[in-house]
Amino acid sequence: MRLTKQKRLSGQKGLIGAFVRSAGYERRFLAKNPWDLSMVLWIPLATVLLIWWIFSQIQITDLPIGVMDKDRGPIANTAVRYLEANPNLTVRQLYHSPAAVEAALLQRDIYAVVIIPEDFSRNISSSKPAPIVLQVNAQYGTHSGIIQTSVQSVIGTLSAGVEIQRLVKQGMAPSQAAIAYSPIGIQRISLFNAATDYQQFLASTVIPALLHILAMVIGATTIGRELRDKQIGRWYDFIESCHPDLTSIEANTKNDKTIIASTSAANNKTFITDNKPRKASISVLLSGLLGKYFWPTLAYSLWSILALWLAAPQQAVAISSIMATYVGLVLLMMLSFWLGAIFTLTSFSLRMGLSSTGFISAPSYAFAGVTFPYIAISDSAKHWSDALPLTHYLKLHIAQLQMQAPVAISLPIVYGLTLATVIAMFLAALLSKRALAHPERWGAR
Amino acid sequence: MSMLQKEPISAKDSTLPEDKLSNTPSDSKDYSSQSFLHSFVQTIKDVFSDKGVLLLLLIAPIIYGFFYPWPYSTEVVNHVPVGIIDKDNSNLSKTIVRYASASPQLDTKRFLNEQDAIEAIWSDDIAGYMIIPSGLEQQVLSGKAASVSVLGNGGYFLLNKNVQMGFLQAVSTVSAGVEIKKSVAQGAYSATAAASTQAVPLKIIPLYNQTEGYGAYVVPAVAILILQQTLLMSTAMLIGTWYEQRRHATSIRGWLGRIAALSMFSFIIGCFYYGWTFELHHYPRGQNMLGSLLFLLLFCPTVATLGCVFGLWFRQRERSMQILIFSSLPMFFVSGYPWPAHQLPEFLQIIRWLIPTTPAINTSVQLNQMGASVAQVATGFYALAGLWAFYFILLLLFRWRTPQSKTGY
Repeated sequence: MRLTKQKRLSGQKGLIGAFVRSAGYERRFLAKNPWDLSMVLWIPLATVLLIWWIFSQIQITDLPIGVMDKDRGPIANTAVRYLEANPNLTVRQLYHSPAAVEAALLQRDIYAVVIIPEDFSRNISSSKPAPIVLQVNAQYGTHSGIIQTSVQSVIGTLSAGVEIQRLVKQGMAPSQAAIAYSPIGIQRISLFNAATDYQQFLASTVIPALLHILAMVIGATTIGRELRDKQIGRWYDFIESCHPDLTSIEANTKNDKTIIASTSAANNKTFITDNKPRKASISVLLSGLLGKYFWPTLAYSLWSILALWLAAPQQAVAISSIMATYVGLVLLMMLSFWLGAIFTLTSFSLRMGLSSTGFISAPSYAFAGVTFPYIAISDSAKHWSDALPLTHYLKLHIAQLQMQAPVAISLPIVYGLTLATVIAMFLAALLSKRALAHPERWGAR
Repeated sequence: MSMLQKEPISAKDSTLPEDKLSNTPSDSKDYSSQSFLHSFVQTIKDVFSDKGVLLLLLIAPIIYGFFYPWPYSTEVVNHVPVGIIDKDNSNLSKTIVRYASASPQLDTKRFLNEQDAIEAIWSDDIAGYMIIPSGLEQQVLSGKAASVSVLGNGGYFLLNKNVQMGFLQAVSTVSAGVEIKKSVAQGAYSATAAASTQAVPLKIIPLYNQTEGYGAYVVPAVAILILQQTLLMSTAMLIGTWYEQRRHATSIRGWLGRIAALSMFSFIIGCFYYGWTFELHHYPRGQNMLGSLLFLLLFCPTVATLGCVFGLWFRQRERSMQILIFSSLPMFFVSGYPWPAHQLPEFLQIIRWLIPTTPAINTSVQLNQMGASVAQVATGFYALAGLWAFYFILLLLFRWRTPQSKTGY
């Protein structure tokens, strides 16, 4: 019964027919090609979960440091105790020789060493400044940043204590001493993501970046393999008029379990090579392409829900913000499909399409201005960053999900992504038309 | 599906791609006796006659050497746009504003109220702001507790840090000035008073990456990742292409020859990174050059061997790119470099060692940027040697399970 329904659908005329036949063609292909299917299903699913899992311990704690206490006085002891009590740090070992410290740093047993000099107590008792030295492995930027702020706050507390005690000894009331020590206090407040939650900061932004990469790869392969296998003409004939009836041909090859059967070599046996140029209709091509990318679009719409479901529940985010972000993410996915297709179709080569896709999408997170802020990116690189759709999506993502900005602020990005998607889709259709007119260039590897 | 499943090969006519991938149609000769040297030379010839492999193996990593450091060329984050809301409008508050404006870390703008400032944050015009409450000067002068508020955008960690540190320094300086004035008024000499504002000052000495540049932190590690990914994909592409042409089979010596040839290309690129890219961007480099070269000598064949395994697994020219392009970011995050390894879930802490970059990134940075001795990074070398052996065994398994030629099927 299912089969007759299928026959009926694939017999439909016009644009809907082209869409349905193309989607059916793609479904049969994906069912037979586990690698391509996994790019649509398992790999993105596993990637989303893996990234979330990597950052499941949302804060960085217990970074190993060393202490070299040359003073051994009571205040130096307090300093070591404070360092140990800080949740971001853990004092791995007390060192006695600089050589041992250096070796430990080079072997990455510790990422920093706090050195308390010999005359530390003496300086404090004689009311002189008694500096403490922090040597930190600045090559490991994340580690170093957290160690610096943590040690700074520990030593700040220690210093305030010493100072206040000194003032109290001079006869000041303790409450007054605290004010005298620091006449203008600072309330430091982090708006949004106050807990410095790395899952919110990194995982929630890396996931869309990875889905974007995967979607561009799918965009390149879905149309690219038809070019490589010289099947794009037959695909077009099929979606336009249902001739040749590829449903039955493919059903026959279904028994042949080989993956290789779908690659160029074997295809030439299974299908009749047909290299005549075609004058394609843009509207049929558009419907056909939408049908061809129907399954990835459906799947990536689901993965987008998963990505946002993971990223959103931490705070009460307005439903309108979530909707705007979701629309933005789905648009980014569709735009990625078309961009991948465009790279392949302009070069007539799946390999070249994948190379360009990888070259542009893989480092796009570095240009997106999340880890290294956009304002600090060099001026020339800013143009590149502006040209990447991911930059704009992540701006929307952070504004809506983390900064709780009003939706209106991010709507221009949604409009921009919509426009870009529509343009890219038409461009992909036009380039497909061109590809169909040049069969002599099919089959490039 | 078992990855080692034997596949029936349908009779095929090897329609070779247009771009002259195959040079010798006489490839059906006996592979079992292929020598190391012959295989080595043949692989080099094939790399140069296959523009797809050449692009990935040699040209892409060279372009990346310029492209990837590009956004970070300013290295440090300065002149972060911030807002100031001065509700006090006193001499003291004006001094604070002046100090904040003079800070190289900040680029200040005045706002009249908090709503305007928040809206500026939402549209990314500023990264944070400071509120100076009304009556600040009065409170300070009468010796009451007083404070200003600094609000940074926690959505961007690095910006937030800059906002907090920039304002902290400005306000502390002014605060210390107030304290000194008071002490002097109470009869202390101003020199002693100034010195005693911080009883225990902290002196921070950044080691290795002394300028604390962002590119200097991230690029030396990513360079190793780029090396791995381009070598993996190009190797798997070449082997996959050979499989399609049924030229994949060879002796164990032949495989070693292929691995040696492919590693050689990446070794040269590695030298290019160590000697040229890092130099060009003034990153810390060459602290232990001999150790770094030894590392490349082990790392490149390890990755090339894994690439051969992938080639026999994927069995198709373009498959390696399709499957591996996305993997760079996850591999980087489990390497232990940007994110401390002990923070990872325990299971990931173990399986991450199956990826070459896990020991490789740290080993390379320790040798080349930090100047560790080879003995100090011995664990990394052992891990890479272990991986190489493991991948080679996998390769032998795949070799054994993969049909050697079309005859016999």
